[in-house]
Amino acid sequence: MTSFQCYKMLKQIAFLAMLCIMAGCATTQTSDNYANKDTLEPANRVFFDVNETLDQALIKPIAEVYVDVAPNFIRTGITNFFNNLAYLNVILNDLLQGKLNQGVSDIARFVTNSTIGIGGLFDVATSMGLEEHDEDFGQTLAVWGVDEGSYLYLPLFGPNSVRDSTDFVPSTLLNPFYYISSAILFPVTAIKAVNKRANLLEASNIRDEAAVDPYSFTREAYLQQREYLIHDGSPPVSGYDDVFSADDADDGSGLLKIE
Amino acid sequence: MLLEKKYYSFLTKNILCLCLIFFAFPLHADQSQKQRLQEPINQLHETLINIMVISDSTNFEERYKYLEPIISEYFDINLISRVVLSRYWKTIEEKDKIKFTDLFKKLTISTYVSRFNSYNNQIFKKISVERLKENRFLVKTEFRKLEGSPITFNYIVQKNNQKWRIISVIANGINDLSLKRAEYAAIIKKDGFDVLVTKLEQKIRDSQTN
Repeated sequence: MTSFQCYKMLKQIAFLAMLCIMAGCATTQTSDNYANKDTLEPANRVFFDVNETLDQALIKPIAEVYVDVAPNFIRTGITNFFNNLAYLNVILNDLLQGKLNQGVSDIARFVTNSTIGIGGLFDVATSMGLEEHDEDFGQTLAVWGVDEGSYLYLPLFGPNSVRDSTDFVPSTLLNPFYYISSAILFPVTAIKAVNKRANLLEASNIRDEAAVDPYSFTREAYLQQREYLIHDGSPPVSGYDDVFSADDADDGSGLLKIE
Repeated sequence: MLLEKKYYSFLTKNILCLCLIFFAFPLHADQSQKQRLQEPINQLHETLINIMVISDSTNFEERYKYLEPIISEYFDINLISRVVLSRYWKTIEEKDKIKFTDLFKKLTISTYVSRFNSYNNQIFKKISVERLKENRFLVKTEFRKLEGSPITFNYIVQKNNQKWRIISVIANGINDLSLKRAEYAAIIKKDGFDVLVTKLEQKIRDSQTN
C-alpha cells in the first residue's frame, strides 16, 4: 500500500469515527420535523458560512470562467465522463435495494457508455432507452429502514446527513480514480469539482434569489430532495399535507382545518 | 289486463331511470368535482404560459399585473400565510398579519413573474389527481421543456368557502411552503418579525430588477 493510499484510508477511518460520534448525538431527536433534525445547527452554520465564503471568493468565480471558456459540448462530455465513473456505485446500490431489473439496465448502461460512448464521454445509452438512475448508499440504508440521523453540513462537501454521508466509503472505493496515483488524481479531482460547481450555478443562483435564510433553505431543500430520491420521485402522498395539521401551525381557532 | 300491463311497463321504466340516476350521478358528480378542483391549476398554467410568451414584449410590471388576479383568485394566500408563519402567527398583531399576507402575495406573484420569463415551447401536462385527507386533493403535473428532464409540479388544493384554491406547491419533491416555513421561523427566532418583513420587501425589489 502506498503512502497516499494509507493517508486516504486514515482519512476514511477518521471520517467514520466522526460519523459514529454524530450518530450518537442524533439519537436525542424526537420529532420528524426537519428543523429538529438539525441537532448540530451551531456547528453546521459555521461550516456553511466557511463554505459560502470560500465559494463566493474562489470556487464560483472559477466555475463561471469555466462556463464562459469551455464550450457546452466539452462540459457535457466531462459531466458524462464523471457520471459514468461514479456509476458502479449506482449499480451496487440498485442491487442492494433489490432493484434487479434496474440493476441489469444500469450494468448495460455502464458497459454501453464505457465502450461505445468512449470511456463515458458520450451518453449513448440514454438514446438507447437505458435511462439514468440516481442511487447511493444513503438511499439504500433508507430503504433498509435506517433513520437519517442528524443533518450535517460538511466542510467542502456541503449538505448531508449522518446516514447519507456513509455513501462516502462505497462511492470512493468503487471509483476507479481511487486506485491511481495522486499526480493524476489531484488535477482530475479539481476538474471534477469545478465542473460540478458549474452545473450547479443555475440552482445556486435560484437559491440566492429566493432564500431569505440561505442556511435553512439549503437544509430543507436537501432533506426534502433526499426523500424524493429515496422514493424514486414518488414519495408517499400521505405526508404531503401534514403541515396543515401540525400542532404548532394551528392557532387554536381550528382555522387551518377548514371543512 | 291491459291496464295492468301498462302499469308494469311504467314501473319498470321508472325503476330503470332511478337506477341510472343512482349509479350515474355519483360518477358524474365525482368527475365534475375533479374538474372543478383542477380549475385553479388550469388557470395558473395557462396564465404562466401566456406570461412566458409575452415576456419579450412586456416589462415586469405589466406581467405582474397580468398574473395578479389569478394568484388572488386561485391561491388561498390567507391560509398559506398562517401556515408559513406557523406558531408565530398568533404572536403578531392584526395589522402585521394583514401586512404579511399582502407581502406574501406580492412575493408569490413576483417570484412567478421572474422565474417564468422566457418561452421556448414549454408545456404543462396533467398527470393525475389523488385524494389526500378530507377536503384536500393533490394534483400532479409536469412542466416539460424541449431539453432536459421535466420538472414535476404538484399542487395541493383545498375547498374553502365553496371555492377550490391552491394551498401548496411542490416542485420536484420540494415543498415551497415547508421551505419558507423553516426559513421564516429561523429569521423570526433570531432577529424578529420586523427583520423578516424587511428581507421579504428586499426580495420583492430584487426580483423586479433581476
